[in-house]
Amino acid sequence: MAAPMELSCWGGDWGLPSLHPESLTVMAYAKFSGAPLTVNTINNSWSTPKADVPVLISEDTVISQPAKILNFLRKQRYNADYELSAKQGADTLAYIALLEEKLLPALLHTFWVEAENYCSVTKPWFASRIPFPLSLYLPGKMSREALNRILLTRGGPPLYSLTEVEAQIYRDAKECLNLLSKRLGTSQFFFGNTPTTLDAFVFGFLAPVYKVCFPRVQLQEHLKQLTNLCRFCDDILTCYFKLTITDG
Amino acid sequence: MSLVAEAFMNQLAAAEPWPENAALYQQLKEDQILLSDNAASLAVQAFLQMCNLPVRVVCRANAEYMSPSGKVPFIHVGNQVVSELGPIVQFVKAKGHSLSDGLDEVQKAEMKAYMELVNNMLLTAELYLQWCDDVTVEEITHPRYGSPYPWPLNRILSYQKQWEIRRKMKAIGWAGKSLEQVLEDVDQCCQALSQRLGTQPYFFNKQPTELDALVFGHLFTILTTQLITDELSEKVKNYGNLTAFCRRIEQQYFEGHDKDGSAAASARSAKRSESDPDLNKIWSQIFTPECFCLAACQMPSSCKCVTHLGVQLVELMR
Repeated sequence: MAAPMELSCWGGDWGLPSLHPESLTVMAYAKFSGAPLTVNTINNSWSTPKADVPVLISEDTVISQPAKILNFLRKQRYNADYELSAKQGADTLAYIALLEEKLLPALLHTFWVEAENYCSVTKPWFASRIPFPLSLYLPGKMSREALNRILLTRGGPPLYSLTEVEAQIYRDAKECLNLLSKRLGTSQFFFGNTPTTLDAFVFGFLAPVYKVCFPRVQLQEHLKQLTNLCRFCDDILTCYFKLTITDG
Repeated sequence: MSLVAEAFMNQLAAAEPWPENAALYQQLKEDQILLSDNAASLAVQAFLQMCNLPVRVVCRANAEYMSPSGKVPFIHVGNQVVSELGPIVQFVKAKGHSLSDGLDEVQKAEMKAYMELVNNMLLTAELYLQWCDDVTVEEITHPRYGSPYPWPLNRILSYQKQWEIRRKMKAIGWAGKSLEQVLEDVDQCCQALSQRLGTQPYFFNKQPTELDALVFGHLFTILTTQLITDELSEKVKNYGNLTAFCRRIEQQYFEGHDKDGSAAASARSAKRSESDPDLNKIWSQIFTPECFCLAACQMPSSCKCVTHLGVQLVELMR
């Protein structure tokens, strides 16, 4: 427990501590469980890792994916799910799978594939935080990987063109947001009054959609109609990240 | 498809009642079908049984290519063809049959989440085991997948499919996983399902839903398919309530309807490499379940089953 832990992840903007969903999930979980993490945002120096972000470094161990990082934190006794029943733990896994299958494609599309969004917001933002000349290559690579993932997982027949795939993934994402909103209802967090792993994941996926100002915003507009989810994100930002909503 | 096209399809679907000759197409049961496809097909069969909708299972070597989405199983109802469990559930709902109408909104959200969990973890693990684990690929998958086709087509098709699946695994981040990690994920998923099921008969207490059909399809297939090692089925067997759940659904929905012990026999061995393929085809024709009851046979005069051969012989001798 005394070993210092460092997290390398993408930085934030528009009031968020990070723009990257996975980085945001890990940061949120660390706040919820009280883990003392030093956060190093990726900047223009060559020493910070660029691939497989977020990365947790603790003494000699280097861990890279959010699920593995969360497991490691739990083993170090930073457990936000301590009070959950077995069934609630199972629900957590199920809802995380729902987020990854239904919401993540649309999120990737909004950030990396939608041409206007990518060219005017995502690419400049990420390129400014990556040292030259990697900044010419890496955003393009991330965009291609996102498109690849969307097409391989959702792009088979009977959807034959990219527009049809896009229509389908946005429909699925809106349905997923509706389901999350119904599940959250009027409670403060998904399982009562204390935030858990599921809250970290939902926050990580929703907050970028909610806060980042894109030119093409159909998903954000849908999210803004689900007031309980917006309230959920704002609550976590004000309580755990001590940033005001208008902070830029 | 667009919202308008889907609304139109739903209207077409709602117009006619469920016909008697609905057919479900899958690959050849004895030689060709793989673990993941068998699980999907069984899930759809279980769902239709739970809705009390009659369907006959037709095995075709080219089922995958006939399907509108490239995935099996697909059902042919009236003049419409629908594939995969999700769209089939929608289609059946448009015809007025639904298993999840009694659930409230939060329960429906939970049901959808658990169905995604099964698809995300169990199905992906099955695909990984079939196509990315070298031993299984060499000994089981390649021989089975291309078995209806002559050389070199059988090798080409199975390599093509393997390449496609490996690309997908790489895109979602599973390519770097080892077999132990995949089995860990299966264990985690089974644990979640077991905890959700608890001591209830079905996931949403009294009535089965499409989630029960999906879970049954996957777990039963894993339990009854013989692979290189038993590690996958051992993971499921660790949870007694899940095995009891599978047995209960099999007894209630499959044995009572005299399918050729379909749930039991269909996935019995994925490893029958020594038997003569032609003999297998003859056997599966001789013992088709429909022909056990003469009246149910679709083509009595040209049927080759043993019961009808007797009848045809008698006719000839007259």
